[in-house]
Amino acid sequence: MATVTPEGGTAVPALSLQEITRRFGALTAVDAVTLDIAEGEFFTIVGPSGSGKSTLVRLLAGLEVPTAGTLLLRGEDITRQPANQRPTAMVFQSLALFDHRSVGQNIEFAMKMKGVAPQARRERVLELLSLLRLPEDYYDRAVTQCSGGERQRVAMARALASDPEILFFDEPLSALDYRLRKTLEVELKELHQRTGKTFIYITHSLEEAMVMSDRIAIMQEGRFVQVGTPQDIYQRPRNRFVAGFMGEVNILAIRGRGESAKFAGLGLPAPEVAGAYAVLRPEALQAGDGGRVRFDADVVQRLMLGSRTQYHLRVGDLGLIAEIGAGVGNLMEPGQRARFSFDPDDIAWVAE
Amino acid sequence: MSVRPGPWLAAPTALFLLAFFAMPLLIVSWYSLMPPRTFSMLGTPTLANYGAAFSDGYEKPLLWSMLGATLTTLICAVLAWPTAKILHAHAGRAASIITALIALPIFISESVRLFGLSMFLMPRGGILAGSLNAWFDIQIGSILNTRLAALLGMIYVYFPFMLFPLLLGVSLIPEDRLEAARDLGAGRWALFREIELPLAAPGLMIGALLTFVLCLGANAEAAILGGRAVTVISAAIEQRFSYAQDWPMGAALTVLVILVTAAVVWPVLRRVDLNRIIQR
Repeated sequence: MATVTPEGGTAVPALSLQEITRRFGALTAVDAVTLDIAEGEFFTIVGPSGSGKSTLVRLLAGLEVPTAGTLLLRGEDITRQPANQRPTAMVFQSLALFDHRSVGQNIEFAMKMKGVAPQARRERVLELLSLLRLPEDYYDRAVTQCSGGERQRVAMARALASDPEILFFDEPLSALDYRLRKTLEVELKELHQRTGKTFIYITHSLEEAMVMSDRIAIMQEGRFVQVGTPQDIYQRPRNRFVAGFMGEVNILAIRGRGESAKFAGLGLPAPEVAGAYAVLRPEALQAGDGGRVRFDADVVQRLMLGSRTQYHLRVGDLGLIAEIGAGVGNLMEPGQRARFSFDPDDIAWVAE
Repeated sequence: MSVRPGPWLAAPTALFLLAFFAMPLLIVSWYSLMPPRTFSMLGTPTLANYGAAFSDGYEKPLLWSMLGATLTTLICAVLAWPTAKILHAHAGRAASIITALIALPIFISESVRLFGLSMFLMPRGGILAGSLNAWFDIQIGSILNTRLAALLGMIYVYFPFMLFPLLLGVSLIPEDRLEAARDLGAGRWALFREIELPLAAPGLMIGALLTFVLCLGANAEAAILGGRAVTVISAAIEQRFSYAQDWPMGAALTVLVILVTAAVVWPVLRRVDLNRIIQR
């Protein structure tokens, strides 16, 4: 299947999934997934555990064989091609480094398998070490002596060594602490830009996906619920599941129809209803009368987030979260009753 | 005042080892230096027995034993590798039954098993030859009373000593390493050479060590199945001590076997981290 490029020409997708399905007995882990991934794209698949995202990436890498469907790499059918013959490489969740080998031997493994001469292998390893910002003398270091972040980089260098067409990442950062993860997210994005390769990344964190990706697919029970750019997904989540996945958002049910439609809990008339739920991001709530929908709320909790201040509000039985930019208006105190408002234009409507 | 109980608690074991391990070794070593065919420990030390060990044909049994032990170890390793891989991959009920079937014979006297095998291999009226003759009218000879029969017996008896350590070794190979290697382009053979063999090496080494050392001292296989077609070193030593009444010669041969064993065991034990395996 050809897609139209921005220049107006057509390009063969780097990877094309057609009705890819994988069943384990009665369980359907991946359910007829169809998708085109463009050359050089950073594509992230996000889903909770058990959503089938790991199975999907294993199917793409050739570590599993699909029950049904076709997989095309640049137009060529690779559905039945075993992993060791595919020009793709994967960074595993466990990293799966060869602990009985040195850093250099780990990185050059794929080249050794291809029969590249030792001297050429060594040169390429040194190149990769500098690409991943590891010192040259790590060549002879035992993998077991490397820190968590260094092991991460060795795993990436190892996957890059064979010059693969596509790189897969199966939640490689999930075991790291927050700060290291943040650093490596940025490094990964830079690595993607410098290598120009197609990256397919698996994670359970939408936040992580937002930082790095060109496009994101949200996966639930073996299917893609939504595929789009980070902005698309952030601003127009397709359903409650996707909206809920974004972490702290307000989801307001709509009661009634037409003229009598109301925001449940707030009890206020809901103009321009376009779905069963109104998804309202915390920053869409304003302090004061600025928006068209206005209500009074009790401030329950105040959290200083640095650039923003987060308020946990209560209106009757309804809990809401509002985030106000630092320096906007006066700080409100917990226990205080205050006027808040929002504009219906800021609502993302979802059906279910 | 604190009393360190360590040395006192170790004393019984230390005394036991001193009496039953160190002392016999010392006595045998000393005896090997006594003049030939004497029974006194007070003679003038001499290396005559060691000279004789390499000139009067005694080296042959030692070489036969070493060859038998090497062949048995190699063949057992080749047979045990796929067995261990399959048992590990299909761990469950069937694998437990097979494991038990392999392990149970260890509890039966070795001689009984070897006589059983001997009856199986007997010519004409033996179980194998007789059945083939009665059912299919095929006449076969017999390998009984040959070196091959002795080798077969050793492989049969010592196979579990290779298999079980190797099973432990194979279980040390993490599945994701194999997947990573395959993903990076490794075929069947490269996978074996680069990942499986090095990661299972501790188990393989221990298994090979056990098999080799036990085979080096093996006697019953050559006696019962080999029909003295071959004289192994333990038979030669026994003859020196009993029939020939030449204790110093027997002691010298014993010391030579211990040296060969040590030369094989020592480098392996230095390389294999036993603690790591035991903790698994």
